[in-house]
Parts: sequence; structure tokens; C-alpha cells
Amino acid sequence: MEIREKGYRHWEGTLRSSRHDWLPIARNGIRAVFKKKYAKLIFSLCASSFFVFLAAVYASTKPELKILGELVRLLKSDAELFKTFYANGFLTFMLIVLSVFSGADLISTDLKFKAFPLYFSRPLSRGDYLAGKFAVILSYLLAFTLLPGILLLLFKMLFTGSLAVSPVLLLAILVFPVIECLCLASLTLALSILSPNTKFIQIAIFLVYVFSNTLAQMLKAIFKSDYAFLASLHGNIQQLASYLFGVKPAYHFPGWLSLLLPLGITALSFWLLAWRIKKAEASS
Amino acid sequence: MQEIIRLENIRFSYGDVEAIRDVSLALPAGIFGLLGPNGAGKTTLMKLLLGFLQPDSGSGEIMGQALGEKRKSLRRTIGYMPESDCLVPGLDAVSLTAYLGELSGMPRQEAMKRAHDVLYYVGLEESRYRQVETYSTGMKQRLKLAQALVHDPRLLLLDEPTSGMDPAGRKEMLELIRDIARKESMNIILSSHLLPDIESTCSQVVIMNRGRIAAEESIAGLKKDRRNVFEIRVMGDASGFFVALAASGWQAEQKDQGLFQVMPPEGTEPAALFRAAREHGAQIRHFRQSRTSLEDAFMDVIRGSDGN
Repeated sequence: MEIREKGYRHWEGTLRSSRHDWLPIARNGIRAVFKKKYAKLIFSLCASSFFVFLAAVYASTKPELKILGELVRLLKSDAELFKTFYANGFLTFMLIVLSVFSGADLISTDLKFKAFPLYFSRPLSRGDYLAGKFAVILSYLLAFTLLPGILLLLFKMLFTGSLAVSPVLLLAILVFPVIECLCLASLTLALSILSPNTKFIQIAIFLVYVFSNTLAQMLKAIFKSDYAFLASLHGNIQQLASYLFGVKPAYHFPGWLSLLLPLGITALSFWLLAWRIKKAEASS
Repeated sequence: MQEIIRLENIRFSYGDVEAIRDVSLALPAGIFGLLGPNGAGKTTLMKLLLGFLQPDSGSGEIMGQALGEKRKSLRRTIGYMPESDCLVPGLDAVSLTAYLGELSGMPRQEAMKRAHDVLYYVGLEESRYRQVETYSTGMKQRLKLAQALVHDPRLLLLDEPTSGMDPAGRKEMLELIRDIARKESMNIILSSHLLPDIESTCSQVVIMNRGRIAAEESIAGLKKDRRNVFEIRVMGDASGFFVALAASGWQAEQKDQGLFQVMPPEGTEPAALFRAAREHGAQIRHFRQSRTSLEDAFMDVIRGSDGN
């Protein structure tokens, strides 16, 4: 490792300023998640829900497959189909797994390896840093919710040969996954900034999911009221999906109330992220 | 000459602890050593320059840009080599350097090309495809220098650049810093508690103590004040001799068994020392002008500022 004799040479280019300074962070993070061990397995499991529903959509549009009618009974209405696709227990669980897999270490490894001085000595604001990290986890979550949701809609149109779609349904197809993913992504990042120990973060994400459901069950047993499910992440996702898609609600309480927990989690997570990242920059 | 850094009455506190007290500084272009004991405020000052911290009061300019304003634009002109052992995991050295270049605003392709160049320059060309987590301390120091250089900044802030390096690696790192400093448009602030590092790379120093600027001048200037100091070894009964010296205004300090450091009053020739010895029956067996190291000068400045 000898020092070269050619000496230091200046770079002749020009540094550019952009409103998308966060983009390299997002690109690097997305690439890093994709390269992880078990990435393909987890992505396949997340995508499996889409293929099951695609088969169901196909079956429901083909008269010759009426034999499967009972199987696709729940999917007779488009609203029911998309609500079931987005809020089914398997996909919700896989989204938690995906959050753990793609987001738990996003900030915690930067804490562990003290990477903040490297980031913040660049022309990068705290917002850019968080936006870059947020984009990573949000991209993966939306890739397995919003994207397949849109694809399902397109395939349904293709199979039925009709472009007719209710604007309310279209809005629900676009809005529900965004709210769900924003909540999961912000929660994951907020937990990720709390500790340099990634294992701890991974366990914490699962605990929030499991504990909120257990708490809701306990409250339901005590108070005998469906309002108890307002404490459950999964329960709120179910109820919110029913509310937005206009189908029979899963629980007996107003659907709009189930917006509170996801929005509350998102707001609290953003506040926590803003506070912690300011401290992290100062101690860089 | 245009000043690269101008600070006026900067103050900063961590809660109740005043870390920077009324710091005013004007540094022209060039390479400067930032010296000071632990807790003197060197790293805090660097953080203020980078905009990681906002001063409680005071104002300043770095490379013509107001301190604390337009931080993005300011950071484009600064390269920072932190003291802490930091890295972005999961990347090899070339990807990491290119990534940080991109974050500085370099086009992607250019950043990759430049990353190869700077890694070659710092002597990491053979290990550039290795994961950075596997690097030794010395290699990490080189990598930190490479990432600070990747976007070709006008001002380089180096915080303890030789920390943890073996003697050979340290020598090479200092050679690199000297080489970079030879570039006209490159300005360097080198913070270190290792005086030989500063002495071998910088001609100007800023000495900090207890959050204040204790001295700001050339190394030669710091040493100059000590040229009129002599080392003597005295045999025989020297008590009368030293009493007489003190009465004539000489300052004497015992350094070792029989070895003293003496400083004559203004306008007195060293020959007066020998006359006094003869008159008081003392024998001067060793006499030489005291070698003034930066360490001596540094200690004098620190003692002086502690006294204030």
C-alpha cells in the first residue's frame, strides 16, 4: 500500500445541487435489501398472495370455472375482492416480516457503525437522510401491496374485457395500501433509530404487532366491546379496509375510527424520528 | 489574503457546560494545526464549522459563506475526516467512496471513477473491493481520508487523522496530508493532540484550551519566544549562585538532577551567567541553548492560558 507518486489531483467536474439529494440513499438501501440472504424467499412469499388472488380473479370471470364458484364466493364483488386481498391475515403478517427484513437495520446499522458524520458532512439535510431511508422501506412495502393491487385491477379488466371501475373503489385501491405502508414504514424506522442493536429492533417490531393483537383480545374479553380492537394493528387494518372499500365491517365500531391508530402511529413515529435524528446530527 | 475561516465571538454550550467561549478566529488560506488538550473544544469547533451544531451566539464565515446558513452549499466545499471509527456497512471501499461522492452531488459515473482515483491515491487500490467492515484501523483511516477527498473539497477538516495507525502508516498519512496541502486551492485544518504530526505538516497553529483560543500563530513564532533559554549543569554549592541569578532577574527552573533551565532578563548576555558562577564558586559543566520543541511552546501556552 504505497503512496503513489502521481500526487493529489483535483476533480474537474461540477457538484450539482438537487431536490432529490435523498435518492442515492434510497438506491443504495434498495440494492442492499435485495442482496440480503433470504430476500428472494421473502419476496416470493409476499408475492404469493397476489398470485392466489390473480387465480381467483381469473376463476371468477370465467363461466366455465363455475365449479370453483364456492371458492370465489367472497370475491364476487370487486370491493370484497380488493379488501380481502389487502387485509388478509397472511399478507398483513408478511408485510410485518418485510418491514423487519427491509427496515429494521436501516438506521440502526448507521448508529452501530457511527455513520452519521459521513452522511451529515455531505450536502444532506436530516430530512433528506430520513426521506432516503423511508423510500427504501416504503418501496418494498408498496411493491407488495399497491403494485399488485393495481395489477389485479388491470388483470380483472383484461379478463372481463371491461374498463369500468368505480371511482370510489379505485380511490380505495390507491389510498388503503398507502396508509397501511406509511404506518408500517414509519413505525419500523422509528424503532430502528432507537437502538444500534438490529436484533432488538426486529423483535420490537414483531412485539408491537403481536402485543397490540393480544392487548385487543384481552380488552375485548374484559369489556365485551369491539372497540377493544382499536388497540390492535391487525384489527385496525381489517376495519379500515372494510370502511374504505365499503364492505361489511369486521367489528362493530365506526370505520373511520380505525384511521386513528395508523395515523397516530405515523405521526408519533415522524416526531420521534425528527427528534432523534437532530440529536444524532449534533453528536456526529 | 482571503480568509477561509472567520469567526467572531462564537459561544457554544452543552447544557451548562461551556464548550466554546468567545472564540474569534481569522484563518487565511493554507494548512493549520488545531492543537489542544482533551476537552479543549477542538472537535466542537469542527462540528460548528460543519454546521452539526449551531452556535449560541456569535457569527462567522467559512469560504465566504455565513456560518450556520446554507449548510448544504457549505458542505459541498468541505471534506470531513471524522475521528470516530465510522463507516457505512455492507459496501466495499469503492462503492462506499462512490456512494458518498454521489451524496456530495457528484454524477454517479463520475463518483465511481473518482472513487477509484482517490482510493489509489491513499494506497487502498488493492483492497478497494473488500468489504469495509473487514478493514484494519489503518485502512479505515485511509478510507476516511479518501471519502473526505472524493468530491475534491476546498477545505479539508481532518480530526485526528493518524489515530490508531502504526508508525509506518502514520508517516504515510502525514506524507499524504503534506502532498494535499501543496495544492494551492486546498485548505486544511488538522486537529490533533499529537504535536509531531502538527509540526511535520503545518506551519501555523491554533491552540485551544478550555474552549478558548490560547494562541494563533506560526510554529516558528511560538518557538521564537523560547530561543533565549539555556540549559546548564552546575557542580558544587550552587545555592548562592541561584540566589544571585534571581536577584539579577534571571529565571531558573530545575529540570533534572543538577540540570537547570535558565532564562536571562531582557538585554542580558549569557556571559553574565558565567561571571555570576565564578563569583559564587559554582562550576558550570554544561551549557547550551535550550532546544525548544513545539511541546515546550505548547505547554507554555497552555500554562499561560490556564493562569488567565
